[in-house]
Amino acid sequence: MSSTAAAGTIDHHHDPSTSTGIPNKKLLMWLFLASDCMFFGCLISTHLIYRLHPPPGTPSAKSVFSIELTSFSTFILLMSSLMMALAVNAIQKGNLKSLRVSLLTTIFFGCIFLGCQVFEFNNFVFEKHLTITNSILGTTFFTLTGTHGTHVAVGVLWLILMYVRSFQPQDLDKRRGWFLVNLVHVLALVVAILLGMNLVLGTTRALEATGLSAATLAHFASGAILRILGLLVALAVLIRLGRPAGPVAFNEGNAMDVEMMGLYWHFVDIVWIVIFTAVYLLEYI
Amino acid sequence: MSSSAAPAHGHDLEESKFQLFVQVAMLLAVITGLEIVTVYLPFAAWILVAALVIASAVKFMFVIFVFMHLKWDKPFCTILFFIGLILGGGTMFALLKIFSMQASLPLQ
Amino acid sequence: MADALAKSDFIGKEEHATAIKPFVLWRPTAKTGLMSWLTTVDHKRIGFLYGISALFFFLVGGVEALMIRLQLMVPNNNFLSAQQYNEMFTMHATTMIFLAIMPLSAAFFNFIMPLQIGARDVAFPRLNAFSFWVFLAGAIILNLGWFMHDGAPNGGWFGYTPLTTRTFSPNHAIDLWVMGLQLLGVASIAASLNFVITIINLRAPGMTMMRLPVFTWMTLVTAFLIVLAFPAITIALVELMMDRLFGTNFFEVSNGGMPILWTHLFWVFGHPEVYILILPAMGIISEILPTFSRKPLFGYPIVVFSGACIGFLGFGVWSHHMFTTGLGTVATAAFALTTMAIAVPTGVKIFNWIGTLWGGHLQMRTPMMFALGFIWLFMFGGFSGIMHAAAPADAQQHNSYFVVAHFHYVLIGGSLFGLLAGIHYWFPLMFGRKVSEFWGKLSFWIIFVGFNVTFFPMHFLGLNGMPRRTFTYDYNMGWNGGNYLATIGAFILGVGVMIYFVVMIYTYFKGEKVALDPWDARTLEWSLPNPVPEYNFRVIPTVHARDGWWYEKHHKEEVAQEQKEHAQAEEAHGGIHMPFQSIYPLFAGIGILIGAIGIAVIDADPGPNLVGKKLATCLVGFVVFLSSVYLWSLEGNEGYHLHIDADGHEIPDDHGASAKH
Repeated sequence: MSSTAAAGTIDHHHDPSTSTGIPNKKLLMWLFLASDCMFFGCLISTHLIYRLHPPPGTPSAKSVFSIELTSFSTFILLMSSLMMALAVNAIQKGNLKSLRVSLLTTIFFGCIFLGCQVFEFNNFVFEKHLTITNSILGTTFFTLTGTHGTHVAVGVLWLILMYVRSFQPQDLDKRRGWFLVNLVHVLALVVAILLGMNLVLGTTRALEATGLSAATLAHFASGAILRILGLLVALAVLIRLGRPAGPVAFNEGNAMDVEMMGLYWHFVDIVWIVIFTAVYLLEYI
Repeated sequence: MSSSAAPAHGHDLEESKFQLFVQVAMLLAVITGLEIVTVYLPFAAWILVAALVIASAVKFMFVIFVFMHLKWDKPFCTILFFIGLILGGGTMFALLKIFSMQASLPLQ
Repeated sequence: MADALAKSDFIGKEEHATAIKPFVLWRPTAKTGLMSWLTTVDHKRIGFLYGISALFFFLVGGVEALMIRLQLMVPNNNFLSAQQYNEMFTMHATTMIFLAIMPLSAAFFNFIMPLQIGARDVAFPRLNAFSFWVFLAGAIILNLGWFMHDGAPNGGWFGYTPLTTRTFSPNHAIDLWVMGLQLLGVASIAASLNFVITIINLRAPGMTMMRLPVFTWMTLVTAFLIVLAFPAITIALVELMMDRLFGTNFFEVSNGGMPILWTHLFWVFGHPEVYILILPAMGIISEILPTFSRKPLFGYPIVVFSGACIGFLGFGVWSHHMFTTGLGTVATAAFALTTMAIAVPTGVKIFNWIGTLWGGHLQMRTPMMFALGFIWLFMFGGFSGIMHAAAPADAQQHNSYFVVAHFHYVLIGGSLFGLLAGIHYWFPLMFGRKVSEFWGKLSFWIIFVGFNVTFFPMHFLGLNGMPRRTFTYDYNMGWNGGNYLATIGAFILGVGVMIYFVVMIYTYFKGEKVALDPWDARTLEWSLPNPVPEYNFRVIPTVHARDGWWYEKHHKEEVAQEQKEHAQAEEAHGGIHMPFQSIYPLFAGIGILIGAIGIAVIDADPGPNLVGKKLATCLVGFVVFLSSVYLWSLEGNEGYHLHIDADGHEIPDDHGASAKH
């Protein structure tokens, strides 16, 4: 239920209508994360078990992995975790603008992480010839990091939907058609992200293939005109829709939903902390 | 659900929360950097592994207690999560132990 | 239509009735008819849906069992082919475990638990409905094979690799099994998350954890077990599915995979699963024995604590299903020790139940008969279980009919008897009628005799070497008599079950009507009229002691005064808050069903299309699921208010004119 209490007066840690004082949604998310611990525990176990007795002919992980790329994506995910914490902090104080900026930055960093994963997977498959089917290392690696990546993608989608939800008008009568605007907003974000990632990855590949030069960029851009235009249109829509237009039905009372999402996002980050050590760093010792 | 009880946190605490988050993030970044450096150090494998495990555990704890707010929430949330963590960790430990034993080595 | 609704006294009005919402966010308001069932979020209705489904699949599983017994009645029989036999024992086990016992337990969790803690519903009503629809989707996927060319799943309920990999099971039967179980896992986890939050957070004032009825405690422990054990099988199933769909190497020996990993992951789930199956029945027994012994449960804290112990220790014993796989001496000894340890809290419970009966004024009603049968038969199952714990002895017993005897004693003699007892016990509360003592007891005795005649001989068959999961046996093995007897027993058991069902159906329509609290019971759910009103309690009770209703019955004046005060307080808050119904849990379930069909049923299209049939089906399912969840989140968790007077009649809602929310 939404509340219209003045900013800063809600105690976000205490819900007097419950037996323990802990809000229901918070308890739900923590229990779900406990379950997810078992889930990732079993998956990580599978990877580590298969690492114990590698069959002959298994590619050496050290020769395939790129510690630089992975370190970079680890830092990125960590920063996204910070932005998420700041987003929750912002909405708990009723600061909508700060919330939206923090959510967008979290999304941005999350997408960089996903882009790095896509780049890494492509590199492993096409250049290092490690596929999900051609070795046990490939199987466990891609399944584990792929599952984690899927969790990140779900998180990004959730963030997008939460961001757009923060624009829902308070007076639904005056803003008929807000639901369609909602959908357009979500679509614009998704399109912007997909096109953005596609263009960045494409540019990187082009630069990799034919060297770092303005000519390469120009050549790539000429082949990607439609996508660049699409991205610009999506960005324009986002800027237009991102302008405040009247009171919204999103305030401190919704902080619990953002907090719930934050818990999920941080959990995805701590799973990566474990994966980074257990899957990547371990191979370099 | 909301209540209009005056919160214990004042404006100052909110400010320092922001700073706390940023500081913890910086700390995590530093620890990650140290982890990356560690793997290249010329020590025995078990020392390096132990160091990495400890470093990861420290990062883990900082994220759950600070970013995920467990430090300021009721202890029951911590208990709930740790049940899953311990069970998951215990299962992982047992499985790895079983598969490391002589009896589990693949036949040559 | 809208006018009629607007004038209706029964339907509450939304707070912001003037807001015009897009039609996708309208809340369904039907209270009767098909739509009311499809959009229900009422825990009692959801419990009923689980119960009906469970009882239906119980009959299906029973037929599968009888087919098995017919095939094994005589040596060298050809009633079923080997392939058909494999389908029978696979589906019998999978159906009984996941589609009969678990949902029947869930029916009680849903209906009874919120009433026992003094709540109006579970913490997340729409999530509750979602769990049921996904359960139904899983049940459909599992049983689709019967209607398909590839046949029903036939790899055993435990799906050991490499038999279930694509090399040895190339058709869709195993895909159906994998996806069916995945869906059931999602449903179970979602429901259990709900139950834990409900029990922890929605208790009535004064209902401390140590005043909870034991059934509620067992619900809590079972829910924790589900939430923590199912992820293991989820991962195992994901790995198997990836092997089957994409050719990964998790269990592919030629490329470094180890099939034994499946066995480990499966039993990491599988062992807590058997405690998931037994704990609810133990909880039901712990309610019935005190009621019909006319005294409180003996050693309540110990019973609760041992339940929690069983739950926790249950995670440390899984390899006792694998003693003969060559774990090595250390591992085998470790698991043998932990398995023996877990017998201790189980035994403790038995002593406490006996202590409850001791010195009590026993009333031998039908629920009590089933409860006593439970204690006796579960003990038998426990004895054969502890025999398995000794690893050397298990080397002989493993994979023989001795194991079949053991687990049927604990599952039928234990779980089923507990659940059948619960149906008899709570029937008056749910349907306002009581089952006739004569027919109830008759069905009990026939079931009891039939069950023992079927499964007792199996102890001997097993020790004499008869293996499990084998479609026939030769005439000179010395197993003929035992098998023949077991089949006779199975049909007697079938007759008993039939009588039980017919009696239930008859009683539902024409049984003796009863007033409030026909058993003079001890727990809060009996304070409610039957049928239980939609809002459960007119006034949320205050609990003063364990066996809250017993206290209320013996302190009537104090309670009446409290109720008056609480009624006024609740009115001041705007009345009884009820959640709106919703169509989105159903739609989300349908999306998942479509996706699962895409994964398990549709063949991969090798053609040059951009999106083949398989991927298209999965995408459609995904889109339906995603949109449903999105609209579910957008429609919000508002509700409406009811005002009930002291006689239980509804007062029209004046939209907060008299009290501010």
